[in-house]
Amino acid sequence: MIQELAFAYKPSEHEAERASNSYLMSLVALVAGLPLPIINLIATFFFFIANRKGTYYVRWHCTQALVSQAALLCMNSCGFWWTISIIFGDEHVSNRYFAYMITAFCFNLLEFVTTIYSAVQTRKGKHVEQWFFGNLTNLICRPND
Amino acid sequence: MINKTLIQGLVILVAFFTLWFGLSRLDFVKFFEIKKHTTTAEQKIGDMIWNQIHDTETVITNDSIVKTLDKLILPICKANHIVRDSLKIHIVQKDEVNAFALPNNHLVVYTGLITDCKKQEALQGVLGHEIAHIENNHVMKKLSKEVGLSVLLSATAGDKGGAIIKEIFKTLSSTAYDRSLEKEADMQSVNYLLKANISPEPLADFMYVMAQEQKTPKALTWISTHPECEERAKYILDYLKGKKYEKKQTLTQKEWEQYKEQIKNSLKK
Repeated sequence: MIQELAFAYKPSEHEAERASNSYLMSLVALVAGLPLPIINLIATFFFFIANRKGTYYVRWHCTQALVSQAALLCMNSCGFWWTISIIFGDEHVSNRYFAYMITAFCFNLLEFVTTIYSAVQTRKGKHVEQWFFGNLTNLICRPND
Repeated sequence: MINKTLIQGLVILVAFFTLWFGLSRLDFVKFFEIKKHTTTAEQKIGDMIWNQIHDTETVITNDSIVKTLDKLILPICKANHIVRDSLKIHIVQKDEVNAFALPNNHLVVYTGLITDCKKQEALQGVLGHEIAHIENNHVMKKLSKEVGLSVLLSATAGDKGGAIIKEIFKTLSSTAYDRSLEKEADMQSVNYLLKANISPEPLADFMYVMAQEQKTPKALTWISTHPECEERAKYILDYLKGKKYEKKQTLTQKEWEQYKEQIKNSLKK
C-alpha cells in the first residue's frame, strides 16, 4: 500500500518539514471542512501552488498529497450531493446509499491513515510512495521541472 | 510506468465498486429500521397536528354531511385504486376556502371550500389535488425541505414539540408546495377525475373564478396559497383539449345544492 524508497538525494531538514506539512495541510483541512469535501482539496492545492517552485522533494510530496486528495474529492462529492438530495430532494435512503457511504468511509479512513504515515515518514526525511498515487506523481512531477 | 499506473488505478476502481456492490446486498434499510422511523415520525406528526385542529376548531361529525363528502370521494378512489380507508378525511367548520393534506394521510376540508364550489366536480378536483399530494408523499417532502428533517423528528419527542407542530400546521395549511409539485398534483387530479368519468373542466373554472376574486377581501386561502391560478386553469384546459370523456355527476344537481344548504345551515347553528 505504501512503499519506502530511496530518493534521488537526501532531503534537508527544512525540505522534510515542508513536505510533511503538505500532508498535514490536507488533514487539518479535512477536519476543519468536514461536510464540504472540496475544502481539503482547495487547501492542499494552495499549498501545492505555494511550493511549486520548491525543491524536487517538496514538490514531489505536495503533488502526491494533491492527487490523493483529488481522488477522494470525486468520491466524497458524490456522497455529499447524494445526501443533500435525500434531505432536500426526491431521493430516498436505500441500501445502495448506505453501501456507498460505508465504502467511501473505508476509503477515506485508508487515505487518512496513509496520509498520517506519509506525514510522519517524510518528516523524518524518508521518501514514501503511496500505491497508485506514487506512480501517478512520478509521471506528473519531474526532477528538472 | 504508465501501464502500471493505469492498472493500479483500475484495481482501485474495481475494489471500490466491488465493495460498494457487495455492501449494497446487505439490507441496511431494515437493519437501521429506516422505514419504521420515518413512518412513525409521519404518523406522530400527522396525529399531533390533527389533534391540535380537533381541539381548537369545530369538526363536523354530522353523519349526513360526512357521508355525502365520502360519496364524492369514493368514485375517485375506486377508479384510481386508492384505498378509501387509508385516507382520513375531516370536515372543519370554517369560512376559509381551503383544504390541505397533513402527514399520515389526513385530509382537512374547510366548509368554506364546499359552499364556495359552484359545481361538485370542482370540489372533487380540489380533493383529488390534495389526495395526489398524499399519494405522492409530497407532504413529508415539503416538510423535510421547509422545516428540516431533524426538526421534524424532534417534533415527535421533546418539550418543544407543541411549538414545532404549530409551525408545521402553518406551513401545511397556508403555504404552497413547489411549483413542480403543484403541477404534478393538478395533473394527477385531472387524471383521477378523467378515470372516474368526472369532468375536470369545473376545476379549471373554479381556479379561474377564484383567481379573479383574489383581490376581494374574502378568505380564499386555497387559491392565495396556490399562486398562478390562471396559468393552472389554462394548462388544465390545454390538457383537456381534444380529449373525449364522460361527464358523470356523482350527486344530482339537487342533491349537491341541498348538501351545500345543509352545510350553510349547520354553520348558522
